[in-house]
Amino acid sequence: MVGTGETGDTGDAWEPHLLDEDEFLREVQSFEFWFEAIEGYLGDRPNGYDPDLVEAELDDAERDQLVTILCNYPVGETAALEASSGLVRLAATNPSQIFMATQVADEARHVEVFRRRLEHLGVSDLDTTIASRANPELLEFKRTLLGFVDDGQWDLAVFAQNVLLETMEDTVFRFHQTTADPVTAQILEGVIADERRHLGFGENDLGRRLAGDPQRRAQLTEVRARLDPLVLRCFEATYRDLGLRPDEFPELGRSYLDAVERLGLGG
Amino acid sequence: MNDDLDTANSVEFETDSDEAPRRRFELEETGFREVPKRWRKFYRLWDGPGDTLAPNEVICPVCKVVIRSHRELRPGDRVYCMPCMSRLVVARGPDGGLIADVLY
Repeated sequence: MVGTGETGDTGDAWEPHLLDEDEFLREVQSFEFWFEAIEGYLGDRPNGYDPDLVEAELDDAERDQLVTILCNYPVGETAALEASSGLVRLAATNPSQIFMATQVADEARHVEVFRRRLEHLGVSDLDTTIASRANPELLEFKRTLLGFVDDGQWDLAVFAQNVLLETMEDTVFRFHQTTADPVTAQILEGVIADERRHLGFGENDLGRRLAGDPQRRAQLTEVRARLDPLVLRCFEATYRDLGLRPDEFPELGRSYLDAVERLGLGG
Repeated sequence: MNDDLDTANSVEFETDSDEAPRRRFELEETGFREVPKRWRKFYRLWDGPGDTLAPNEVICPVCKVVIRSHRELRPGDRVYCMPCMSRLVVARGPDGGLIADVLY
């Protein structure tokens, strides 16, 4: 147990769990909440990491593997940047619209910090290197996601972006954080903190919308089944880049399967 | 507010006459910085397999952050996960420990 001291105090202590639903949503989907939250973990980390952090010694092979892994991240983040900017216009409520605007800013920062990390690792022609090393499965996923946005399909786009893509990224980044050099690990830590908001927003927004709409749930279940092979290929390609063995793959997909189950999209 | 939430809310800070009084806990910040300062002591990072939950704590199934309360939690309590914006209700898990289910 961490920092939890039992007390004899029997008086009511105010806490966030006492907010009513509307107050809670107004608070967490506000610009102010986002701003104070990111200031807490990014305020002293320009480019996503503490400038005093000492860079680890990487040999050529390690550096090359890291560059290959990192080349995938701006692709996924750019997909989310472009999709979430389109979703600002599709949002049905003002709080959702404001939240999506904060996600645009988050995704833009992710693209920037990953590209700068690649530059610091000595990659000179970023766009060419990213294009040559990024997994084609991710590019296919990006096309699918942006297609949903272009068609004005909020539910499908939020599912593909905030549930599928964010869960994928969250899972991969968490694993990579445990094996990465200190600078990359700290960059990933900040991105993971952002991803919590994104995937939480997606699951909760969809969960509320699907609760009274079995037809929409059936449609999403169908889309999920169609996207699953692509998602699996994305996971596998990234796992290979991370140097994982095939028998380690299923556990890393657990968060995605759990989210799908909670949403009743298991099919 | 839907019926589920009303049910979850109805037990807030109440004690059934046949239940033991709830223990109360003093909360301190643990270094979790992903929410505005005034909310930080209500959340902490899960430290993995060696970590344990206190009676006033439950894990958010969506983002895996530990949610904390001033009072001992019991099945039926509503809690919020601010880091991922989830509304949850505390339940008894298969192993007898407390878990949280998402309320959409």
